[in-house]
Amino acid sequence: MSYTKIPACVLAASLFATSIAVAGDSPQHERHELMEGVGDAAKVIGGMLRGKVEYDAAAVMESLQTFDDASAEFGDLFPAGTETGEGTEAAPAIWDDRDGFNAALQEWSDAVDAAIAAAPATLEDGKPVLGPVFEACKDCHDNYRIEDE
Amino acid sequence: MRRLVVALLVLAALAAWWVTAPVTLSADDLPDHQADPAAGERIFWAAGCASCHATPVEGERAKGEDKRLLGGGLEIESPYGLFRVPNISSHAEDGIGEWTALEFVNAMQRGVAPDGRHYYPSFPYTSYARMAVEDVLDLKAFLDTLPAVPGRAGEHELGFPWSLRRGIGAWKRVYLDPAPVVALDAADELAVRGRALVEGAGHCGECHTPRNRFGGLLRDRWLAGAPNPEGRGRVPNITPAGKTISTWSAEDIEYYLESGFTPDFDTVGGTMVAVQENLAKLTADDRRAIAAYLKTIPAID
Repeated sequence: MSYTKIPACVLAASLFATSIAVAGDSPQHERHELMEGVGDAAKVIGGMLRGKVEYDAAAVMESLQTFDDASAEFGDLFPAGTETGEGTEAAPAIWDDRDGFNAALQEWSDAVDAAIAAAPATLEDGKPVLGPVFEACKDCHDNYRIEDE
Repeated sequence: MRRLVVALLVLAALAAWWVTAPVTLSADDLPDHQADPAAGERIFWAAGCASCHATPVEGERAKGEDKRLLGGGLEIESPYGLFRVPNISSHAEDGIGEWTALEFVNAMQRGVAPDGRHYYPSFPYTSYARMAVEDVLDLKAFLDTLPAVPGRAGEHELGFPWSLRRGIGAWKRVYLDPAPVVALDAADELAVRGRALVEGAGHCGECHTPRNRFGGLLRDRWLAGAPNPEGRGRVPNITPAGKTISTWSAEDIEYYLESGFTPDFDTVGGTMVAVQENLAKLTADDRRAIAAYLKTIPAID
C-alpha cells in the first residue's frame, strides 16, 4: 500500500463509523457530519491539486464517490424547523430560496458526475474536471452558508 | 462678565471651526509622475474598489465583468446608520471623470471631496492615506479607462451626531495618520511590500482590527480580530496568534488568497469571498508579500 492510499482508507473507515454514529440524529448534526466527510475527501484531492501530494487516480475516484453519495443525500437534510440550532451554519437563504439552493447543489453534483465519467488518470487530466467540482463548493458556500468563527 | 462669556463662546466656536476644517494636500505635494493605468489596475484589485462601488446586479454583489461598472448604489448598514455608496465611474457629471489628479488624491488620502466636504470614513481613506501617492495617481489613470456609468446614489441616512459631517474633521485629527502601523526592518523588503498592500490599499485593518466607540481603530489590537460589522460572528484574528492562521504556513496564506481554499480545503466565506477574488488578481509576488507581512507583525492574543 502506498502512503497516498492511507488517507482514503482512514477516510472510508471514519465515514463508516460516522454513518453509524449519526443514525437517528438531528438533521443539523447529520448534515454537519456529511459535510465533514466531504471536507476530508476534498482535502485528499486538494493536496494533489496543490502539488503537495503525488497524484493518485484511485484516491481521487474514491473522493469523487464520497462527493457523489453526499450530493445525492445532502439536499434532503434541510427540512422546515431546522433553520437554526446545534450551531448550524446553514444560511436562511436555503429556506428562502430553495430553488437556488437546489440549483447550486445540482451544479456540484453535475461537476462530480463529469469528473467521475472522465476518470482522470493524471494531474493534467484531472485539473480541468476537478476545478469545477471545487468551484461548486465555493459558489454554494458563498450564498448558502453563514460564517461563524 | 457677560462680555467675557460671549468672547469665550466666540473663541470656542472659532476653535471648533478650525479643528473640524478639512486638511488637504496642495499641488506642490504631488510628485512628478507619469500615471500608468496598467499599474493602476493592480491597485484597483488590491484596494477592492469594486466590492463597494460596483453597481449591484439584481440586488446581488456584482461579479465578473460587472465589477468594472462603478456606478455605486450599494447600501451599507452600519451601527452609525445607512451609507449609500457613490458613483466613481468615469462619468463626467455623476462620477469622477472630471476630477483632477489633486482632487482624487485628496479624496483618497485626506477624505476630502472636491467641494471641501469631509467624507465619512466608511470610505477607508484612513488606510489609503498610507499608500504611495504614485499608486493613487496610477489608480486614477486606470479608473479613467473604465466605462462611464450614469446615475447618482441617494444621501446617507445617519443618526445624530454622526449626521454632522463637519465633525469628521475633528475625528480625522485623531484617527487619520499616514504613518505605517507596524515598524519593520527596511531590509525585510518582502514584508515591507506586504505592509504597503495590507495597511494601505488593501485596508485589511478596517475589518480585522477592533474599533473604539468613536469608530477609531485600536492600534494596539492591530489585525487581532473584531466583531463582524455586518452582524453575526467575528472577523478573525490574522496576527501570528490567530487561532486559525497560526496553524497556516506563509505558503498556506498565499494559496488561500490565490484559490480561496484553506489548508483543509474548506472554502473562503462571508465578506472575505469578494476580498479573496480581488487578491487572486494580484501577482504571486504580491500575495507572497502579504503572507510575509502577516507572519512578521506582532502576535496579539
